[in-house]
Amino acid sequence: MKKFVSLLLALVMVLALVACGGGSTTTEQPANTPSTSTDTPSTSTDTPAPAASTDTGAASGEGKVFNIYAWNEEFKGFFEKYYTVPDGVTVNWVIVPNTDGAYQKALDEALINQADAADDDKVDMFLAEADYIVKYTNSEATQDVKALGVTDFSQMYPYTVSTASDANGVVKGVSFQCCPAALIYRRSIAKDVLGTDDPDQVQAQLDSWEKYDAVAAQAKAKGYYMTASEAADFRVFSNNCTMPWVDANNKLQFSPEITAWMEQQENFAKNGYTVLSDVWKEDCTNQMFKDGKTMCFFGPAWYFNFCMTNAMDPDKGCYGDWAICEGPQSYFWGGTWLLAATGSDNPATLADVMKAFTVNEDICTKLVKEDAQFVNNKKVNEAIASDPNYGNDFLGGQNDTKFFCEHADNIKFENHTIYDQLCNEKLQEYYREYLKGSVDKDAAMQNFYKAIGENYPTIVLPQ
Amino acid sequence: MKKKGVSYAKWGYIFILPFFLAYLVFAFVPQVMTIYNSFFMNYREGLTQVGPKFIGFQNYVALFTPDANGTIDILKYAGNTMVLWLLGAVPQILIALLLAIFFTSYRLNIKGQQFFKTVIYMPNLIMASAFSMLFFTLFSNVGPVNQFIQAMGWSDVPIDFFARTVTVRGLISLMNFLMWFGNTTILLMAGIMGIDQSLFEAANIDGANSVQTFFKVTLPLLTPILVYTVITAMIGGLQMFDVPQVLTNGAGTPDRTSTTLVMFLNNYLGGSKNYGMAGAISVIIFIITGILSLIVYRSLTKKD
Repeated sequence: MKKFVSLLLALVMVLALVACGGGSTTTEQPANTPSTSTDTPSTSTDTPAPAASTDTGAASGEGKVFNIYAWNEEFKGFFEKYYTVPDGVTVNWVIVPNTDGAYQKALDEALINQADAADDDKVDMFLAEADYIVKYTNSEATQDVKALGVTDFSQMYPYTVSTASDANGVVKGVSFQCCPAALIYRRSIAKDVLGTDDPDQVQAQLDSWEKYDAVAAQAKAKGYYMTASEAADFRVFSNNCTMPWVDANNKLQFSPEITAWMEQQENFAKNGYTVLSDVWKEDCTNQMFKDGKTMCFFGPAWYFNFCMTNAMDPDKGCYGDWAICEGPQSYFWGGTWLLAATGSDNPATLADVMKAFTVNEDICTKLVKEDAQFVNNKKVNEAIASDPNYGNDFLGGQNDTKFFCEHADNIKFENHTIYDQLCNEKLQEYYREYLKGSVDKDAAMQNFYKAIGENYPTIVLPQ
Repeated sequence: MKKKGVSYAKWGYIFILPFFLAYLVFAFVPQVMTIYNSFFMNYREGLTQVGPKFIGFQNYVALFTPDANGTIDILKYAGNTMVLWLLGAVPQILIALLLAIFFTSYRLNIKGQQFFKTVIYMPNLIMASAFSMLFFTLFSNVGPVNQFIQAMGWSDVPIDFFARTVTVRGLISLMNFLMWFGNTTILLMAGIMGIDQSLFEAANIDGANSVQTFFKVTLPLLTPILVYTVITAMIGGLQMFDVPQVLTNGAGTPDRTSTTLVMFLNNYLGGSKNYGMAGAISVIIFIITGILSLIVYRSLTKKD
């Protein structure tokens, strides 16, 4: 009898659970809050110390918690330094690292559950990069910022606005950066290899890929590396692509620019012109120390502060021994867009934050002068570009804002897909194995296709 | 209807109930759901959910379809997993057995046993991912090991430990070995100490030497514990994930030769939340584990 009872109990449990389980697989709406459903987002609630004030336009009826999703601390730093949070609102940062698409995964989970989340748990604003912004602007998860009150786009660079717009031209967010990028070179090494460290003269010797390759050989002959990563100049090619990663039939394809990069790096690896390393890894960044042997790095304004801390190291670094020039081809890299999440319960704060970092000239000027950013405000940038007293000490006094101003208008944001981040990352990762000689080229490409297939089941892979 | 005597069986059932409930909720139901999910197309494309749609055995068919070069991925990863496990587990069990014998030998009578036992167990207390990060930093191209090698003049260029199958697999096995041999030693010691000491003394009086005592007395009587150790180690080994995942940054470099089955599964779960394919891989791991456990159990206990 007892056996029977316990068996019955057990069966009832199973039935109940299976029934619930079955339900959840069809609706696919786990009811957990965004912060618990992800890997390990570090959540921190801060009330930042105000540095500069903006108009605190928090209307009544605003939510108490302003949730911002980001993949690193960069914008958080600026936000806490320059933005005064309206009274009664606390800012909650959910920061998930970008690697292997972890940030997108966490963000997607939160956005999919947005409708069911409690007001204070709703995503209000999230940050997105050029590599995957298309996925969010072309979805219902983001909302029209013009309706929120962000209407002045006159001083923004056109590409930043079109990138944040959906297919119908509805603007879903703003960028606080503009990211024309440069070839960043070590002055002392350039002097040794090219006989000059003057940006114009260096540029004259590096203004085509043929010349660039020839200089790489010269650098090698003098015992230097041209680049510290085979992917250092990847963005110069990939952000000038003439074909998107997938065609109209969702078939994976290689833009001629990507193929050109692959060929160039085959040559670089064979001749030892470059260190073979991920751009974010120590092997690469250690080359920025004073005793580093690498002449060229590639990056936009954010690269200095964010990636070149080794070069700024007071003991081992080489602060001031750097300069920038256009290099073989004009390009852009990255950018951080602030997107407005649909369903935000803090619309006024949301609009206010967006305006503060794009329209507020006071904040924008400080971002340039104190944080070496290139902001998304033409008027501020141009004022600094024409200021004869302004110079970036890290670049030996060169006026980098002037350089970036000259190149910002040329940026085009074209041929992007929702698959870009992993396509770019995985290609670099698996192609590096080939460049290192661990596998043959065919195997490297097969492994790349496999990685894409695992992440994007709908992409048709070449055989 | 009144029964004679008092039955306490009721309490027995009540006492074991929590385990069965926990098992049902946290193990049995997920397992059934996994099998159920493996027959569905169910993944996410960007912010769009695709499926779930019943597709029968298509996920399994896809898993066993050879690629352009004729390799069937899942078999390759199953092979990787076995190699990685064997490289770590064989020395692990042999060394653990040896240590267990030393520690329990009344003739050696090692002093400070508690200390040694604690120390050899220590590596297991470190989180596997932290341990992997440590090894990654140690053996990276700019890490201390390479600095030492270059300083000693053994090599002019840094040795790229993560670009060679042998070294990557070697490092993974070494880490697994370091993490688990202490645990195995303690298990086996418990097993040996459970054997009646008078048997060893009798063997000794009969003139058996240490080797004979080991093979004729210790090993046969230790078999149940040894089988348990091998099978649990194997189940753990087949589910190997954290060490290679962190050490190779999820890529299983080079040429995916250190990609284990669970890393393969994780690739599907990571970006696209592909519950269908991930479910199918889980089911296959489950079947492989079952078969291998049966084989090990049979081959180690058959002799009687």
